[in-house]
Amino acid sequence: MDFKLSEEQELVRQNMREFAQTYVDPIAAEIDENSRYPEEVIKRLGAMGWMGMPYPAEYQGAGTDYLTYAVAVEELSRSCAATGFTMSVHTGLAAGPIFYFGNEEQKKKYLTPLCNGGALGAFALTEPGAGTDVGAATTMITKDGDDYIINGTKTFTSNGPNGDIYVVFGWTNKEAGGPKGMSAFIVPKGTPGMSVGGHFKKMGIRASQTSEMVFKDCRVPKENLLGQEGMGLKIAMGSFDNGRIGIAAQAVGIAQAALDESISYAKQRVQFGKPISKNQAIQWMIADMATEVQAGRFMYMYAAWLKDQGLPYTKEASMAKVWCAEMCSKHASKAVQIHGGYGYCKGFKVERLMRDAKITEIYEGTSEAQRMVIAGNVLR
Amino acid sequence: MNQSLRGDVEMPNILCCYKWVIDEAYIRTGPAQALDMSVVDYKISDYDKNAIEEAMLLQERFGGSVAAITIGRPDDTKGLKDALSRGPQKAYFVNDPSFEKLEPAQTAAILADAITGRIEYDLILCGEGSSDLYAQQVGPRLAEKLGIPCISYAVAINVEGSRLKVERKTEEGLEVVAVPLPALITVAPDINTPRIPGLRDTLAASKKPVEEIGLTDLPGPYEARIQTVGIKAASLTRNGQKFSADKAGVKALVEALQKDGAL
Repeated sequence: MDFKLSEEQELVRQNMREFAQTYVDPIAAEIDENSRYPEEVIKRLGAMGWMGMPYPAEYQGAGTDYLTYAVAVEELSRSCAATGFTMSVHTGLAAGPIFYFGNEEQKKKYLTPLCNGGALGAFALTEPGAGTDVGAATTMITKDGDDYIINGTKTFTSNGPNGDIYVVFGWTNKEAGGPKGMSAFIVPKGTPGMSVGGHFKKMGIRASQTSEMVFKDCRVPKENLLGQEGMGLKIAMGSFDNGRIGIAAQAVGIAQAALDESISYAKQRVQFGKPISKNQAIQWMIADMATEVQAGRFMYMYAAWLKDQGLPYTKEASMAKVWCAEMCSKHASKAVQIHGGYGYCKGFKVERLMRDAKITEIYEGTSEAQRMVIAGNVLR
Repeated sequence: MNQSLRGDVEMPNILCCYKWVIDEAYIRTGPAQALDMSVVDYKISDYDKNAIEEAMLLQERFGGSVAAITIGRPDDTKGLKDALSRGPQKAYFVNDPSFEKLEPAQTAAILADAITGRIEYDLILCGEGSSDLYAQQVGPRLAEKLGIPCISYAVAINVEGSRLKVERKTEEGLEVVAVPLPALITVAPDINTPRIPGLRDTLAASKKPVEEIGLTDLPGPYEARIQTVGIKAASLTRNGQKFSADKAGVKALVEALQKDGAL
C-alpha cells in the first residue's frame, strides 16, 4: 500500500493551491455575495489546462489520472466551493459522458473545446418532478428523419446559464422504461428551441450558475446522440459515479477550509485571558475536524484510485460522497461555532463555508440516494 | 560563451541557481524558543523563483536556452519538477547524501566545480539571498570562483548592444550598470512576479531531462567554514508599561527608554 501522492501529484496540488490563493481567494466573498459567475477565473483555468484534466492529450486534455483531478478539485474548493463545483460539473458530468460514450467525431468536435477551455459544459438531467427519481422525467425526444426533437423542462441545470455544450437527457422510448427508454444528446448553446432560464438565487455555492432550461421542439441531428438510443440512464449513472468523486473532493476542500479557519481563529481569539485554542472544548472540536477531514480525503482518493485501476468503484464513490458531504456540513457548522457570533456574520469565511457545505449532501445524488446505492451493493 | 549579444541577436545560455529550502510556514516554535522542524515541507527559495522567472522572461524576449541547477540530497527530487514546471528546459542536480545544511562557501564551491568544464553558460542568475539563511553570499562567491563579473540586487535586466544593462537597487536609488557576458546577476524580488505553473507545464516537467552530478564527479572536498551552533525563534516580549499623553508621561517614556538602553 502507498498512501503517498507522487511528486507530480503533489506538485499539481501545490500549483492549484497557488492558483487558488492568487486568483480565487481575493474574489471568493464577492462572487458569493453577488452570485456572480467568475468568468475570468474559469477562462484562466481553461487556458492553464485545468478544465480537461483527466482526458487525453489528443482532445487537448492534460491526461492525468482521476486521482490527480480530484486533488485539484479539493484544492480549488478549499478557496471557493462554487468555482470548484463549476470545474467538477464541467469535467465530470459534461465532458465525462462525451469522453466515455461519445464517438470519435463527437469527441473531436465537443470534447476538445471543453478540454482546452474554449467551452463550458453543463448537464441537464433533473426535472421539476424528477430529482432522485430519474424515471419520473417527462422530457420526450422523438425521432424525425435524421433529427431528434426534444420537448420538456429541466431544472437545477448546473452551469446552465453560462454553458456552451449541454448533455441533455430524455425519453426516446417511454414504454421501454428506465434502463432502456432514456437517451442522452449533446446540445450546443444556441440550438433553436432551447431556452435557458435565469440563474437561481441559492443559499450556497452562489457563484455557480444554476438555471431552468426549456426545450420546445428543439431539433438536434442524430449525430448528437451519445452512444445508442436507450443508453441514457446508463450514461447518467456512469457520469454520477465520476461526478460523485469530484463532489466528495469538493466537500473535503470545504471542510479543510473550515479547519484552516478554525485553527487560525482559535489561536488568536482571546477569552478569559488566553486563546480559546487552549480550551479543551475547542481542541476536541478541531481534533475531530482534522481527523475526519483526513478520513474523508482517504475515502475520495480510494474511490478515484479504484477508478484509475479500472476496478469497480460505484459503491466506493457513493460511500465517499455521502460521508464527505455529511462530514463537511458537520464541521462547517462546528467552524461557525468556534467563531461564535463573528462566524455568523458576513465577512468571515466560515459563514460562507456553512452555506456552501449543505449542497454537497444534496446534488449529484442526495445522501439518501447514496445510501440506496451502497445498500444495493452490500445487500446483494 | 556561445555568442555575443548584438541588439536582437539570440540570447545565450542562461543558468539559474535555486535552493530547495524548508517552507517557513511549517516551522513551529517549541519550548524555550526552539524551532520544531519535525513536520515541514520544502519549497524553492522565494528569490530563486524570481531568478527562474527572469531567465524565462529573457528567453521569451531573446531566445536561447534556460537550465536550472541545484544542490541537494538525492531524494530532493520534487524541487527539480517544481523548477522545471516554471519553464527551464533542463536541470542539473548536484546531489549527495552529505549535501544538506551547506554553508554559503560550500554551496558556491560545489556549484563552481559542477559548472566548470561541464555546463555551457553565458549568464548565471541567482536570487539575491535564500529564504532560509539569507546570507546573500552564494551569488558573489560563485562569480568570484568562476572569474566572471557579478551584479547584485538587480531589478531590471535589458540588452544593450553586446552587453547587458542592469538596474540595481541601492539604498539611495537605482544604479544602472552594464556588463559583458559571461556574467552572474543576483535578482531582487521586485524584478518580476513569478508565474504560477499551469497544469500542462507541471505535467511536462517530469519529462524534461535532468543531469545528475555526484560528489565523485567533483574534485572536493568541501569543508564547512562556518558552524551553526544553534537556531532559536525570534520573540517579542511586551512589558506592558503605560504612559500618559502629557508632559510627565513623555518624560517618563524617555527615561524608561534610556533605562532600557533604547535611547
